[in-house]
Parts: sequence; structure tokens; C-alpha cells
Amino acid sequence: MRLIWKLLRKHVSVGQLAGFFLANLLGMLIVLLSLQFYEDVIPAFSGNDGVMKNTYIILSKRIAAVSTISGEAQTFSETDISELRRQPFARRVGAFTASQYEVYASLSMGGIGFGTDMFFESVADEFVDVQWPQRNYDDLWAQSPSATAATEIPIILPRTYLALYNFGFAQTKNLPKLSEGIVSMIAMDVRLTGEGGSVRNLKGRVVGFSTRLNTVLVPQQFMQSANAALAPHATAEPTRLIVEVENPANDAIADYMQKHGYELEDNSLEAGRATYFLKVVAALVMAIGLLISALSFYILMLSVYLLVQKNAEKLQNLLLIGYSAARVALPYQLLTVGLNALVLLLSLALLGWLRGLYLQRLWEMFPTLVEGSLVPALVLGLALFLLVSLLNIIAIRRKINNLQ
Amino acid sequence: MLPEVFAQRTDNTSELWLQEVTFERGHLYLIEAASGTGKSSLCAYLTGYRNDYSGTISFDQQDISGLKHAEWTSLRQHSLSHMFQELRLFPELTAWENVEIKNQLTRHKSNAEIERWFAALGIAEKRNTKLAHMSFGQQQRVALIRALCQPFDFLLADEPVSHLDQENSRIMGEIMTEEARRQGAAVIVTSIGHHMPLSYEKTYRL
Repeated sequence: MRLIWKLLRKHVSVGQLAGFFLANLLGMLIVLLSLQFYEDVIPAFSGNDGVMKNTYIILSKRIAAVSTISGEAQTFSETDISELRRQPFARRVGAFTASQYEVYASLSMGGIGFGTDMFFESVADEFVDVQWPQRNYDDLWAQSPSATAATEIPIILPRTYLALYNFGFAQTKNLPKLSEGIVSMIAMDVRLTGEGGSVRNLKGRVVGFSTRLNTVLVPQQFMQSANAALAPHATAEPTRLIVEVENPANDAIADYMQKHGYELEDNSLEAGRATYFLKVVAALVMAIGLLISALSFYILMLSVYLLVQKNAEKLQNLLLIGYSAARVALPYQLLTVGLNALVLLLSLALLGWLRGLYLQRLWEMFPTLVEGSLVPALVLGLALFLLVSLLNIIAIRRKINNLQ
Repeated sequence: MLPEVFAQRTDNTSELWLQEVTFERGHLYLIEAASGTGKSSLCAYLTGYRNDYSGTISFDQQDISGLKHAEWTSLRQHSLSHMFQELRLFPELTAWENVEIKNQLTRHKSNAEIERWFAALGIAEKRNTKLAHMSFGQQQRVALIRALCQPFDFLLADEPVSHLDQENSRIMGEIMTEEARRQGAAVIVTSIGHHMPLSYEKTYRL
């Protein structure tokens, strides 16, 4: 091996290899950095939404003065929903179910009690960004009210409510700020009043906060059984719909909403747009990185081909005195794989360093930001390394085989 | 068998081209040829780096045109040794390294044996000299030693002594035949006139 390398290292161009090294390092770093930045930043825009998940919009019918007077329905009919489902931009459509009974919630702490009339809504579990506790509520209504007084109903509140309280209300009134953990420790009394004045007392407990859904949510299954038990004659047509869309910036959505007189909840669309924009930018930057990587790969291949060409006579002589093509190709294969590995390691190190810099900044802007995982970037880097190395190995071997 | 470039010729007087010829282990052959009669082409066909001929060459009844790269590699390591007319040594390596690069592959000879050959052929003091700094005659001797550093059934020596004096030709011939005898192998020597003084059993005129 030493002698073969002594022979074959001749004509190895340090300049060309350094060019490849720098170009590939740049390409690889851009690819990994764009992915990692995306991983780290996206939670700030989309809460618990996973990276590759789509975005959601919530829509309702526009409330106009005319409809208020005429009493025109503000609800979505079956045909409205099925037409929406057929639209190409809509991946899934879910309807909010409103409570058909009255809800009164009260809280008593240290002898001081306060309470309020409120409402519940529910939506299919797949649209909820918080995990519900597993439970079936069908058997609840057959039992006597006294037997179910201690039953807890899980409730999800919008995260904005908590923020509103902490940063608006508590701040100005010198009240203690509440963490999500503390809120979920408080059990409130919930009174449901149905048709004919039937009353059911239950407990309510906040099990999570939603970034996506701006309403007081209870499990869909509870809502259906409660509506059936407490308001058997009422029909609950949804007033709001949640739609999963691939691209919230799609013009077709705005057109459709305009034509049908639907309104979008601004928040979801803006966050969705920001997320979408970020995705597009990250994808674009990554594509540029991949392009640079591909070009650097091209430089390397040209350099190696040139090397094989310049050393063709020596390589051929080695083959003629009995060396196998595999053995003759090995030094050049090791050279390229070694370079690729060096690029991978160095780009990962640089990635770690640059990430430290921007995470510092991000934390100043979003103190609650949870940093993303490093795994996708590691996997991508390793995959690129393996792919490029494999292509190198095959190309060099074929080039040497052509000499025989 | 005939090289394709000779296909238009009508004046074939060769004892080899267009004839059926068999080389067998254990014998000593001489192929005499004038320049341009296809001597080096024949060697290239037999060692598999050219195949621009018509006709058939078979090793043990197997047509060699169907051999794969890996099979040629194995043949060149274990059965066919070729001392090239153009030597095909590596000028940037020393004389010793040129032999070593082959012996590393086959592990056929001990360093002591190789050193003995260097001494017998009078190039012992050139052991660590870069090949580029040696005369062609000295290089021919290095090429022979390299060709012997492998097991073989046939040793193909293409004009091995073109640049050697009588004495060195004689020593070279002795080493070659002794090594062939030990392995029960055949030696095929080509020459354009000045050839090794050996007792050839069969001579072909190309």
C-alpha cells in the first residue's frame, strides 16, 4: 500500500482538492445550517406543530348587520362543509361543535369565590395540538348527579388567555403570575344546565394550552354525549370550521372565502403565513447549499478523473503486473472518502458554533423557545456524506476499470 | 489467429499467424521475428491487454476472449508472468521497490532470494537507486527479477536481452530456466536477432 501510494500520489493536485474541500464545506454548511435553523426557529411560529405538519386556518361566517336583523343562519350547513372539503387547498376539514346547554364555571379559593357564564366547544381530536386524557363519557349521564359530582372534565384553554392574564392582568394588578403547571392544578366547579332545567355538577380541570385553537375546548366525545343527554332536541350546526391547508398563502383560499362570505381568524393565517414563508426560505437556502455541494462534487470528480488520466500508464502497469482494479482504486477512494469525512466533521463543528451564536439571539427574542433537535441535521449530513462517498467510490472504480 | 491489422496481407509466411500453435508447460520456446511482424502484439494478446485479433486463443481449452477482469488479475498473479519489451517499470521507485511492489502482492520470494538475484546479475549496488537513473540494460535485469517474483506456468520474455552483453544474457538465461524448471513451467522468449543462448526446443519464425 505504501509503494502504491508513493506511485499514485504523483499528480495529486493540492489546489484542486483544496478547492473542492472549501466548496463542499460551504455547501454542506449551508445545507445543515438552513435545516438546523429551521428546526430551531419553527417552534417559535407554530407552537407544538411538528415541522412537516401543515398549517391550520379557522373560519366562520361573516356577521353582517343585515344577517343580524334578518336572522340568517351564521352556521355552516352540511353542503357548505362538503363543498369546502372538495377544494384542492383543503386537506382536512373539521367542525367545531358548540355546547347546547348552559355552562357556569366557578372557582373558590380561600373562602373567596367567583364564577362566570361560559361556553364549551369541541373539535375532532386530530385537530387538537394537546393530548386529551383517554376516557369515555357515555356512562356519565346514566348515573345520578350526586355520583358524578367529582368527575373531572378535561379542558384546554388558548395559550393566549394565559399570556393575557400573566402579561396584562397580573402585571398591572401585582398578582402572581401563573405557570401552565399551576393552572392545571386548580380544579373548578362546572355546572351544566340543559333542556327543562336539568342540572349536572362536574369538576373541570385545565389539561393544556393550545396555540392553534382559540376557544375553550372539551373532548369531542364528551361534548357529543353531553349534548345528547342535556339537549336531546337541539341540533348543533357548527359556527366555526378548522381547515388544514398546505399553503395558507394560497390565493385560492382568500378567493374562496371572499366568494362565500367566510371570515378567517387572522391570527392563524398570519402565523401560518410566517411559518410558510420560513419554510420556503429555508428550502430555498437549502437548495442553494445542495447546488454548491453538487458543484463541489463535480470539481472533485473532475480532479480525480484528471488524476487517473495523468497516472493512466502507472495504473495500467499495476494492473498488468497483477494488481486488481479494486486494489488500485483504493488509494483514490480513500482519499476522496477521507476528504468527505473531514468536510462532514468540520461542517458539523462549524454548525455547532454558529448555532450557539444565533440561539443566543433567539433566546433574547423568545425566552420560552425550546431549541430544536440536532438529529435531523446529523442524519442529513451523514446521508449526504454517504451518498457522495458512494458515488465517488463507484465513479473511481469505473474509471479504473476502463483502463483495462 | 491473426492480428486484425494483418488481415489485408496476402504474403503470409509466418509459422505462427494463421497456424494452429500449442505451447505446453515444461518447454522452452523461441519466437524469432523481424521488426513489425506482430511480436509484441502476440505478447499483448496472450496477457490480455489487447484483443484486436481474429481467431482463437485458449488456455486449457478455455477461450480467453471471455475472461473477466478478475480472472485476468488472477492469471497475472498466479499463472502468467510477462517480462515486457518496454519493461513497464516505475521510474520513480528504486530498483528494489520495483521488485518489492510485485512481491508484496504475491509473497512468492524471500528478500534473501531477491538479493541473490540482484548480486548474480551484477546490480546489487544499484538496489536503492531510482530506476530513472539506471541504464536500460540494468532496468532489463530488474524487470526479469520482478517477473520471477510470482508463481507461473508460462514466462513470456519479450526481447529480454536486447541491451545486455553475452555474459549477462547467459546469467539471465540460467536464472530464468532454473526458475521455470523448478515450477515445471514453460518459457517463451522472443527475439529480433540477438537472443539468449539457450537450448530451445522449438523455434517459430513470425
